[in-house]
Amino acid sequence: MNGVINVGMADYKTARSPDILLTAGLGSCIGICIHDPLLKVGGMAHIMLPSAVGSLGGNPAKYADTALVLLLKEIVGMGANNSRLRAKIAGGAQMFSFPGKPPVLKIGERNAVAVEQELKRNGIPLLVSDVGGSFGRTIHFDVGTGELHIRTINHGEKVV
Amino acid sequence: MEITQFQLDALREIGNIGSGHAATALSTLLQRRIDMSVPKVWAIPFEQVTAIVGQLDTPQATIYVKVEGEASGKAVFFFPIESAQIMVQALMGRNEPLDLYSDEMAQSALKEVGNILVSSFIIAISQFSGIPLQPSVPALAVDMIGASLDAIFLEEGSLEDTVLFIDTQLSGIPKIAGQFIFLPDDGSLKKLLGATGL
Repeated sequence: MNGVINVGMADYKTARSPDILLTAGLGSCIGICIHDPLLKVGGMAHIMLPSAVGSLGGNPAKYADTALVLLLKEIVGMGANNSRLRAKIAGGAQMFSFPGKPPVLKIGERNAVAVEQELKRNGIPLLVSDVGGSFGRTIHFDVGTGELHIRTINHGEKVV
Repeated sequence: MEITQFQLDALREIGNIGSGHAATALSTLLQRRIDMSVPKVWAIPFEQVTAIVGQLDTPQATIYVKVEGEASGKAVFFFPIESAQIMVQALMGRNEPLDLYSDEMAQSALKEVGNILVSSFIIAISQFSGIPLQPSVPALAVDMIGASLDAIFLEEGSLEDTVLFIDTQLSGIPKIAGQFIFLPDDGSLKKLLGATGL
């Protein structure tokens, strides 16, 4: 039976096929999924904010830039080849809007931009980006096939 | 910051006052006797809120209000979708279930109920501490509770790492429960607890 490994908020985990990585209830946070299709290993990070720059220490898994570095290091440590790594991301929603007040700082959007930039900087192709909207997402990532299953309450369900 | 047992008792008192206000307001609105109790209160780091909330992708109705004033912060009231459904049906005098995800009337009713509940607690905090607080207009999300809460935690402003959490239970309408959270902005907690003389 496949193991399902839960990735909490501001956390990251790696896995080998046939295990599945799961993160539930992503709002403006983003789930970054990385895998090596040949070795069938991968990982998932659940980031909350764009950048650790200017933050006073704290948990590096909370930020897009520092979390990705940690995640990649662990995946490569499992024997994955950097040049084979592929990414899929989901989340970055804007869950609330106040009437007459455009949000000054759309954190979900900023998270998505930061994650895309960091992936690019690390030379990892982004195959799927399911970000934005105003709804939550629960994601399951199969590190063997690279399939990302995205479930929402009222905006359908898909495998990408 | 460290929370003492005395301060937790103060928080419970705020919860009792708040739920009293909420019960009175709901009784008037729904024209029936409603009682509310506060089984539990917590003051916890915000990362731990998700542990209390349970399943993060359970659909819940979440009302979010920004609180202005000397001890500013964010106030949230959320209840399970089943509770929201019962409440909205009672308020609208309907017997058939309403689509809380897209029916604008139902959402507006839900926002109204949620606003009454969240305001009741804000007024309680204000009365207890003597610090005037003004709630903003409410925003509503009917979605996975984890998603709604993470968006609130991360939205603008630097938060204190302690969150005040008040569990509430209503009787008078079957099977309704809800939870109130106050997320003080940086510095607000000290002011609130300081003002209570603790």
